[in-house]
Amino acid sequence: MSVNVCKRDRQVIIDPLVTCMPMGAMWAVLGINHGIPLVQGSQGCSTFVRYHLARHFREPIEIAVSSFHESTAVFGGGKNLNISLKTIIQRQNPELIGVVTTCSSEIIGDDVYGFVDSNKQELKDLGCDGTEIIPINTPSFAGSHFTGYDRAIDALIKNLSTVNENIENDNEKINIIPGLLNPGDVNEIKHILDTMYVPYTMLTDISETFNSPLNPKKQEDPYFGKGGTAVDEIKNISSSKGTVSIAKYAKTGAETLEQTHKVPAVTDNLPPIGIKGTDEFLKTVNKLTGYDTIDTLMTERGLTLDLMADVSARYLAGRKLVIFGDPTLVTGLTSFVIELGMEVVMVTTGSDEKTFPTDIESISKHQSIDVITEGDLKVVEDYVKDKDNEVELILGSSEARFINYDTGIPLVRFGFPVYDRVGYHSQPIVGYRGAKRVAEMITNEILAKYYEKKHWKLQQ
Amino acid sequence: MPFKLFDVDKEIPEREKHIYVKDEHNCEIDCNKSTIPGCMTERGCALAGGKGVITGAIKDVIGLVHSPVGCQYYTTGTKRYPSQPQLPNGKTFPIDNFNLKYSFGTDLKEANIVFGGTRKLKEAIIEANKDYPFASAIYVNSTCTTGLIGDDVDAVCKEMTEELGKDVVAFNTPGFSGVSQSKGHHITNDAVFDRLVGTKEPPKTTEYDICLIGEYNIDGDLWVIEKYLTEMGLNILSRFSGDASHGELCWMHRSKLNLVRCQRSATYIADLIEERYDVPYKKVDFFSTDYCSDNLRMLGRHFGLEEEAEAVIEKYHGEVKEELEWYKEQLTGKKVYIFSGGPKSWHLSIPLEKELGLDIIAVASQFEHSDGYDKMKARVKDGTTILDDPNSLELEELILTNKPDLILAGIKEKYLVYKYGIPAIQIHSYENGPYIGYEGFLNLAKDIYNNINAPVWKLLEFGSE
Repeated sequence: MSVNVCKRDRQVIIDPLVTCMPMGAMWAVLGINHGIPLVQGSQGCSTFVRYHLARHFREPIEIAVSSFHESTAVFGGGKNLNISLKTIIQRQNPELIGVVTTCSSEIIGDDVYGFVDSNKQELKDLGCDGTEIIPINTPSFAGSHFTGYDRAIDALIKNLSTVNENIENDNEKINIIPGLLNPGDVNEIKHILDTMYVPYTMLTDISETFNSPLNPKKQEDPYFGKGGTAVDEIKNISSSKGTVSIAKYAKTGAETLEQTHKVPAVTDNLPPIGIKGTDEFLKTVNKLTGYDTIDTLMTERGLTLDLMADVSARYLAGRKLVIFGDPTLVTGLTSFVIELGMEVVMVTTGSDEKTFPTDIESISKHQSIDVITEGDLKVVEDYVKDKDNEVELILGSSEARFINYDTGIPLVRFGFPVYDRVGYHSQPIVGYRGAKRVAEMITNEILAKYYEKKHWKLQQ
Repeated sequence: MPFKLFDVDKEIPEREKHIYVKDEHNCEIDCNKSTIPGCMTERGCALAGGKGVITGAIKDVIGLVHSPVGCQYYTTGTKRYPSQPQLPNGKTFPIDNFNLKYSFGTDLKEANIVFGGTRKLKEAIIEANKDYPFASAIYVNSTCTTGLIGDDVDAVCKEMTEELGKDVVAFNTPGFSGVSQSKGHHITNDAVFDRLVGTKEPPKTTEYDICLIGEYNIDGDLWVIEKYLTEMGLNILSRFSGDASHGELCWMHRSKLNLVRCQRSATYIADLIEERYDVPYKKVDFFSTDYCSDNLRMLGRHFGLEEEAEAVIEKYHGEVKEELEWYKEQLTGKKVYIFSGGPKSWHLSIPLEKELGLDIIAVASQFEHSDGYDKMKARVKDGTTILDDPNSLELEELILTNKPDLILAGIKEKYLVYKYGIPAIQIHSYENGPYIGYEGFLNLAKDIYNNINAPVWKLLEFGSE
């Protein structure tokens, strides 16, 4: 029906729902096989990110930093970068270093492109020229971690994709830019594509680097997470049949590839969350590649529908919920919970994603949804605690746990960060199987909270 | 050779002077120096040391980070610093764990970088105060960004203090200040002393007033010590800064004796208070049963409360004695590497050996200074490796060559250690703390035992029995 859009009505942020650009860039670089992010900034800029990623994924997060100090503010970070590159390449020999700039390096005016170029000869003389070095501009004041991710993917594509002089789009693959999805979600997308026999390149692939097996005998030293997209594979993406960006905030790279190498970009679809979103994704893949959506996936679709038939009318119909977090995930989940017959009363995202309100409007159907742009956790808290809103469920990250403790309103966790429960990074919310999992989690929370008091209703 | 150059450090030979294998030479370890860029350090920044470690523990203040959104995000509810809403004046703060639940920030954008962020800072302070008018004070941290663009945060805070009629305090903690978190501790100590200490009087004073400095209530540590001290008849007048209220910082000068628990992050303020207000201080250590008993006895003697101290020792040591002996039998001979942020390496080395039978093969610290390394050297046996600011690759080499049975480190190192098949315990924020005092040491012993003996470590090989 409609959305009521309003912006956070304060200058002050109270508990942010987004973080800085560099984190998004580091995330993207960590999806490269033997890739190391190098933060051109103060030590906190890497340490804090490592802390936050480590507590969410419960995995090692290895990020280098060029350790800015007072003298750097005066003399610039050229020397820091020079020493960092030599040190990292000599000791760890990565395939790729993503030089992630920060507020401080951008304010003091470090020219990282120039620095990288001027280091090339020295690195060559040292025999250290086998590592790709990609500068990525990510001053935190110019965006959020979503923007930082987008810029990193774009920088990787611009710097690595080579001109294909042979036949157009001849490698049979499609490129997928997953956005800031969890390993479980990336794995689910890979499962869908594998099932359809569609070859693909994931730009970039954190499904194993952020979720790697414990197997000390096979553990590399120095440490690199298992998997990740190979640099050589990225060099070949200009020959692909198309690029699908799952997240709208991460579409710049796909557009670049379309402009420079005529690789068709699909960037404005619903994310593959819920039935319609996943249907749309399969159709897109089919259109780009000609491969069919085969029976296995239709069985998965049917199993999800079967559960939806079991639970939606009986337990979920008309229940009011709020959803906050990543704009892509919020959009997809809004679409799915509407498919479940629930009523979305408010959505918010910390970013200033311009199309977010219209995206929500286009899926709002008969519902009237409050959309708060550039929100923070306080926005969520105030909305949930306002009894007139009659909120019965919250979909969001662990950050809402105090709202859950204080109000008793159930919280179904998704996205980033989830640090107070386990398994959330490794299980999907995308695809038909992800939808089934979300429906199960929501239903179980509803049953525990709203049915146990009248337990006889749960007998059959 | 007493100094040791690790194989992974051959390209950065400067590291040799930071790693000392203890022998009779008592060599001076290079420390508190800039980290080599790109060496995979574990160190953080001054904001982490200031807001993360010290002011983030205070329960009734608005903690506002003047920065683009990241610095605020990363210092929101990260340290395990629980707090209770009771205030020294008998009132109850309306929101429990306010310090963990809410963070405030100015979310600076490009225009603010160009034109300055002070106007936005003022608006943010006023808005935050309007939303939480009961907050006792507002603490503002500056960051890399606001340090570089030259925002005069001190002037804004001064103006706001007058306008709002409550303390608005500037902490100038740009991340690039100093070589590690340690600089943030120092800046924060100085700011609290200059701006707050001596500005308020406590509701009441007694002859037994003490101030517990450098105890941040990690996972409830402070509450354990507080229980012992209160039961033996002492009155905790101020806490710096675990579970503390703003007022307590302002009347630290009225204490009869200051106790310095974390001696890396908070000796500065004890020195300053002694110098200006003649309040003596003692460095204390409550990790393990021996240190805890020694220090309680010392306090007993100081205040003429010997019998009371003995009663507390008997009661609480008695509760854990037998169990600790059992753990010692189980753990004897297991090799341990302690990699702390600051002083826990030297707090724990002797207790883990003496009271739990463990074999300390290496100790390290992210940001200790030479006085701390002197203690570390004094408290380990010959042959123990002592590392300053070790990096990830050195950690890996140490694991692969020395094969410890357990590592005590932070969350950033823990999962890396796992990948090489070794258990690890979070020693900055703990696993199942508190770890201080008698019951705390038992918790630590349990966690050590459970981690070393977790069945998973014996199942790593396919088909293992």
